[in-house]
Amino acid sequence: MIRHLFKLIWNRKKSNFLLITEMFFSFMVLFAVISFVLYNYHNYKKPLGINYQNVWQLSFRSNADSMGQSKAIQEQMMQRLKSFPEVEAASLAHNNVPFSFSSWSMGVSYGNKESVQTNNYEVQDAYKDVFQLSVDQGRWFGPQDAAALHASVVINQVLKDRLFGEEEALGKQIKVDDSTSYTVVGVMPHYRADSEFAEEEPALFRRINLEKAKPDQLYASLLIKVKPGTGVVFEEKMVKDLSRIAKDWTIEVTTLEKMRQSKSKLTWVPMVAMGVVCGFLIFNVALGLFGVLWYNINRRYSEIGLRRALGATTRQIRNQFVGEVLVMATFGLLLGLLLAAQFPLLHVFQLSAEIYWQGIGAAALLIFLLAIVCAVYPSWQAAKIHPAVALHEE
Amino acid sequence: MLKNYLKIAWAVLLRRKFFTFISLFGISFTLMVLMVVTSLFDHVFGPQMPERETDRLLFVNNLREEQGEGYSSSGPPSYYFLDRYVRRMQTPEKVSVHSVFNPVNSYIHNKKLALDIKHTDQQFWEILDFHFLEGNPFGAQEVKNASRVAVINQTTRKNYFGTGPALGQTIEVDQVKYRVIGVVEDVPVLRIQSYADVWVPITLKSQEFKDTGLRGSFFATIKARQAADIPKIKEEYARIIQDVTRLNPKEKKQVHSYPDTILESFARNFLGSGKEDKVGFLYTMLALAAFLFMLLPTINLVNINISRIMERSSEIGVRKAFGASSNTIIGQFVVENVFLTLLGGLLGFLLSAGVLALINDSGIIIYAQLGLNLRVFAWGLLLCLVFGLISGVYPAFKMSRLHAVEALRGGSK
Repeated sequence: MIRHLFKLIWNRKKSNFLLITEMFFSFMVLFAVISFVLYNYHNYKKPLGINYQNVWQLSFRSNADSMGQSKAIQEQMMQRLKSFPEVEAASLAHNNVPFSFSSWSMGVSYGNKESVQTNNYEVQDAYKDVFQLSVDQGRWFGPQDAAALHASVVINQVLKDRLFGEEEALGKQIKVDDSTSYTVVGVMPHYRADSEFAEEEPALFRRINLEKAKPDQLYASLLIKVKPGTGVVFEEKMVKDLSRIAKDWTIEVTTLEKMRQSKSKLTWVPMVAMGVVCGFLIFNVALGLFGVLWYNINRRYSEIGLRRALGATTRQIRNQFVGEVLVMATFGLLLGLLLAAQFPLLHVFQLSAEIYWQGIGAAALLIFLLAIVCAVYPSWQAAKIHPAVALHEE
Repeated sequence: MLKNYLKIAWAVLLRRKFFTFISLFGISFTLMVLMVVTSLFDHVFGPQMPERETDRLLFVNNLREEQGEGYSSSGPPSYYFLDRYVRRMQTPEKVSVHSVFNPVNSYIHNKKLALDIKHTDQQFWEILDFHFLEGNPFGAQEVKNASRVAVINQTTRKNYFGTGPALGQTIEVDQVKYRVIGVVEDVPVLRIQSYADVWVPITLKSQEFKDTGLRGSFFATIKARQAADIPKIKEEYARIIQDVTRLNPKEKKQVHSYPDTILESFARNFLGSGKEDKVGFLYTMLALAAFLFMLLPTINLVNINISRIMERSSEIGVRKAFGASSNTIIGQFVVENVFLTLLGGLLGFLLSAGVLALINDSGIIIYAQLGLNLRVFAWGLLLCLVFGLISGVYPAFKMSRLHAVEALRGGSK
């Protein structure tokens, strides 16, 4: 039966060519969009490793005149901030705070292995309290690390896996270049702070030691955790106070929640737009398919009449037509699979193979579903044909 | 003749309403998506308030310094560079130097306004066509004296002053008080050269004038006397850059900076890594994307058209039997199909007007007023014709090859 169907389609391959191409392109579109959505969804489900609720970012732009006093000004600012009862914790950092648009990366290596690119964060001890980070192996750095020969660093699990594999990381030294090495004192399970939809990347935290910093050292960001319910009234008061300390500096305040939203907008706006366009394309194809099938079945009126006269049941007629459409869909899918399978095999775009295969599976399933839905009504109509009427017309 | 074709086309459309619906739905949605994209493109790159005379405007917003060993850095140029070299150019009519926009905070009635501030000179207001709702821009005198005056946009005016008077009132931005002297219409955020919420004199930022590096945080806008002068300005600018490179022989190996139109600067910064002119490449990419997007609906439409034309095989047979050539028949079906796509295009226009209104309301793009205008309309019309021709020619060609006898019998099997 199935062989027979394949033969039927193959014999009319010329007139079915366009339908097969359509299936092929629909499959490719679905595959691309589904893989993209799946990739983002997989990332979204993973833990961030940070709690950004009630965290504010203060960013500074200094001017050239007061460059020399940057460090002193920031020390005073920290003092003032700690005196506010609303502020629970505060830490200086560079611009690469969670959900920001800047990043800072460097290569580190362990032993004789190849160097690994990692995100590099320089933060104060209180950073852990600001984001409620958890460190499951070893510890977070503290004042006791100030005198360490090799600066103490905390890394995330991803970097640990890439550098050390199964080996123990704590206490080991990792190298940046010939003159600089760090000692790993802690490993945190997760730190995924670029965007909710981004993959977790290697992260390395170094400790800011303000006492040792140069007088013109400027940390462009200050992160504070405030008590729940603290609002704009406090913000205004705080900015006024800090502006008195840092004259002529521009201080900008924003919440991490806002930054998270604008960062995730960058992913979900294109995702929704793609989804809508893809949905429209598929609906369009479905309508077209439905129309063409309906028309083709009408043309094969006499064939159906004859089969019915020779004793075919309505069920058999219906199955034949649905079967034919499914065979066509299979042809389109096979073509598509040939192309789509290259993505996981050749690792295009660095997505994991699992996501591609899931995408292929889901797209294939949807195409078959689409084909069945479009074929059911026309074949039901075909099955209704009365043999006597059909043969009479012939 | 044409009238007859259109009459037939209309009759055919009414005969099979379901097929007509499928065709029109496909056409109108495809064209709607393309028109929304065109409108977005026009919003970002087309002439628009305040950059209305785009064919006479050039923008400088990037300078790239390359040193040996592949080390390079790029970003906006410094005031020093723009003031010393670009402002003294001979060919342009006017040159304006202004800062990039910077985010600042303003607090009013226990509410926070996150505003973007831009420091400009007086030429900025002469070159660009801002639409002033109240008051006037600041002039040479205010810039010279570094007066604390500000031009604000409509939205800021509403948020800060409500319905009360704004002119002559003070607005406190980043702990500094400015006197409001003008209110302008909102400028879309994607117009990075002129966009801001608050514009103040550039001299208030004079502490940054002293820095003699080439990179800083300033832009320049150049206006040509006439559109034909643009190549000359680009040549003069290239000469300046050569001089600058020569004058700093010590460390900087190469300096790259170009006066560009909005589209050129976008293509250069995002695709040409700040050096090469990639407009052609950008257009190719866009055309390719549009083609890929149109591919599926086109195949679909071709498919439907073939089915529909098959129904009319007896008509074709009769016409052929009476001596119509293949070309005449192809002509008829192409005209019919173009008619159908134009009809779909019209629907597409109505739909895209709705979608654009939705995007404007949703506030996804700040201060965006996307709309349909003549340019978008012309592009839409062109797209319709291309779409109609592509999807009509193949089925018509296929039908025209039918033999009269077979066609009369009811089409080929």
